[in-house]
Amino acid sequence: MLELRRVSKRFSGIPAVDDVSFCARPGEVTGYLGPNGSGKSTTMKMITGLIELSEGQILFQGQPIQDDLIAYKKRMGYVPEEPYLYNHLSGSEYLTMVAQLRGLPAKLSSERIDGLLRLLSLHDDRHASISGYSKGMRQKILLIAALMHNPELILLDEPFSGLDVGTSLVLRSLIQELAVRGKVVLFSSHELDTVERVCSHIVILHRGKIVADDSIERLRSLMELPTLEAIFSQLAVEQDSVSIARQIADLVHA
Amino acid sequence: MHKLIERFAGYLPLDFRVLYRQFLLRVIDLEALSIQADVTRFLGQFAGVLIMISLISAIHAFVSTIAPPTTVAGWLNLEWGTEQSAIATMMLVIGLLTVISWDSTFPDRKDVMVLSPLPVAPHTILFAKVSASGALVGLAILALNFASGSAWSLILGSRRGALGFLQFCAAWWLTMIAASAFLYCSVLAVQGFTALLFPRRVFLRLSAVLQLAAFGLFLGVYFVQPSFTSPADLAARENQWILASSPSYWYFALFNQLNGSLPSQFRWLAARAWIGLLLAVFGAVSSLLLCYLHTMKKTVEAPDLVPGAGGFHWTPSFGNSLQTAIALFSIRSLTRSRQHRVAFAFYLAFIFAIALSLLRIDLTASPPHPVTLEIILPTFSMMFFAVGGLRNVFSLPISLTANWVLRATQLRPTEEYVAATRRSLLLLAAAPVWLLSFALSFRFGPVLHVAVHLAVLALLGWILVELCLIGFYKVPFTCSYLPGKANIQLQFWGLLIALIAFVVPCAEIEQSALNESMKTAFMLTFLFATSCALFFFNRYRARSAVIYYEELPDEVITTLGLSA
Repeated sequence: MLELRRVSKRFSGIPAVDDVSFCARPGEVTGYLGPNGSGKSTTMKMITGLIELSEGQILFQGQPIQDDLIAYKKRMGYVPEEPYLYNHLSGSEYLTMVAQLRGLPAKLSSERIDGLLRLLSLHDDRHASISGYSKGMRQKILLIAALMHNPELILLDEPFSGLDVGTSLVLRSLIQELAVRGKVVLFSSHELDTVERVCSHIVILHRGKIVADDSIERLRSLMELPTLEAIFSQLAVEQDSVSIARQIADLVHA
Repeated sequence: MHKLIERFAGYLPLDFRVLYRQFLLRVIDLEALSIQADVTRFLGQFAGVLIMISLISAIHAFVSTIAPPTTVAGWLNLEWGTEQSAIATMMLVIGLLTVISWDSTFPDRKDVMVLSPLPVAPHTILFAKVSASGALVGLAILALNFASGSAWSLILGSRRGALGFLQFCAAWWLTMIAASAFLYCSVLAVQGFTALLFPRRVFLRLSAVLQLAAFGLFLGVYFVQPSFTSPADLAARENQWILASSPSYWYFALFNQLNGSLPSQFRWLAARAWIGLLLAVFGAVSSLLLCYLHTMKKTVEAPDLVPGAGGFHWTPSFGNSLQTAIALFSIRSLTRSRQHRVAFAFYLAFIFAIALSLLRIDLTASPPHPVTLEIILPTFSMMFFAVGGLRNVFSLPISLTANWVLRATQLRPTEEYVAATRRSLLLLAAAPVWLLSFALSFRFGPVLHVAVHLAVLALLGWILVELCLIGFYKVPFTCSYLPGKANIQLQFWGLLIALIAFVVPCAEIEQSALNESMKTAFMLTFLFATSCALFFFNRYRARSAVIYYEELPDEVITTLGLSA
């Protein structure tokens, strides 16, 4: 189980994440939602160990991750929000490098990389430079890099970004399949339809603070709202979207 | 002056001015040079180095008047030597400029994709790019010649009166401009026609090879080309092929033609200079025009995804998986990134030039050459440039945003990362230089001395690698540096001082020890002990170190001065 206890992160004194506590359990997909700038990606980076916490504690399987960060990283796979990759490498070279850095045996990593590239329809382009890859292809590379060592904890920050319909459907099923196989999956996305279909439990963040932490079913019945979009709008959207759209059109037209 | 320039600039179209400013920023990779992305500062530092060289030449001119030549032949020797040296240096500087601004005059994919949807004519882009590159060339000519040109005109030209001074001065400047234009336009023409002849994919690969070849060629020619400072040398039959094939001699002849001092039998050389200049300018203009008319369209139509080379994809092993990953990452970064390739090529070119100078020794001589400073110093220098150069290039990041993957997969202690970096330095810098030295030392003797020298060279390489690793707790090509940390002038002179202070004494010590077995044994033992001590020192320190990906500025306490 992944557990965040009163986690805060401040940049130059300004809180980006403020007193956040929640749990993500094995066997379920936890959706982590929030508008732009609410602190989702900062939380994800803290969970991966990329940035340090200002306050609080993150525990995995009951142990603070900082106690043995290396052992924790071995059990974690991460797909970041932006598909930043080394553009001078080919897809195959990048994945091999990640496998080598993770210390995977050469034969095993080669078989897994090859298989995953084939399943995600990237095999034909594996020797092309990443600089020419589309956003969706980069996303697939990130996904393979995050999964090839069979991690126990999977952190997915906007994993559907740029993916075509077919791959999105595969990924949606894959997330559920990974949860069924006992993995802890923390999944952040703006695609509420997908979250609603995939996640059993959601955490909504607004201005760095948690405003909801429950199952979707329970939130629906508690708030008496039919969809996750309606719940999200009520909890985390402050602006009148129709009015803003009208103002933009007026400004351009003037 | 500033107002005059501003007024002139006001007459130029706005889109040209905007593009010119943008392209000037991109002529040189400012990120690579780490000078706060400030083009004015870069140009100032660049001009500073050239002015320093110019001032040294000017001082040399005035020093030569303390004990002036007493014969006509002596004056001719001084005059021709000065002219040849000035032209060769000018051409070298322009050559290096064309290399570091490689491809910047031609439309790249980013330009095409960003500018094509905007209402900007292709010729405006072309003129803005040529003007930006031309501005840099102009600055180089001015900075390198303002002091030396004036001083030598005064010393050598004024011997023929005021008119002679003016003629020498005009010949100096016109020759420098013509020689620079020839070289600059020749490189543009070669690049342009390559871009036109080959598919874009092939061109991009070929262009990288051409860039390195040009770098080696310019430095190699500068260091290896002999100087002919007497009429007898110039007229010698065996030197005619050098005169005929070396553009710097064509422009030397042009200088003397303009100065009215060219012997009639060398008019053909001056004619070559004129013909060469015309051909180069014509080639550059036509290839640029064709490129902008033809290549821009081709660039837009080119597919985003270029298939990789098919067939054989061998991934060699360089130790454990981490060492292999870092070594392969280093090799790929060095060979595929223009910025890193150019930076390392600077050091490689020195190594190439030194190796060429060694090849000038008659290696077929019998009995073999003794092991003297003639081979010790060049091989030590090559090792110094290779290891030091690679260490410097390792500090340039390739993609800071992609570094997250190294952080997320950092599953081993710092000690192992330092060991992997050590292996990369040994593999990519020390080992190739050692092998090259081994090949070059084949005709030196006796065998025992050669073996001792190669052993010393190997140990020196190891020591240099260990020295480079002190405090280097980074993965090669990943760490960001603080802006403004690099200082071109300091690095340029610092490197030369370090070379003289470290390599020359080491070479002298080795030479003195070679003939005495006790001294040789002591030297080898000492070097081995030093290598081991540094190795264990680095290993010990790495145990408590943390790999870092960003340099942090020192804590600065700012006082508000309210109490005053």
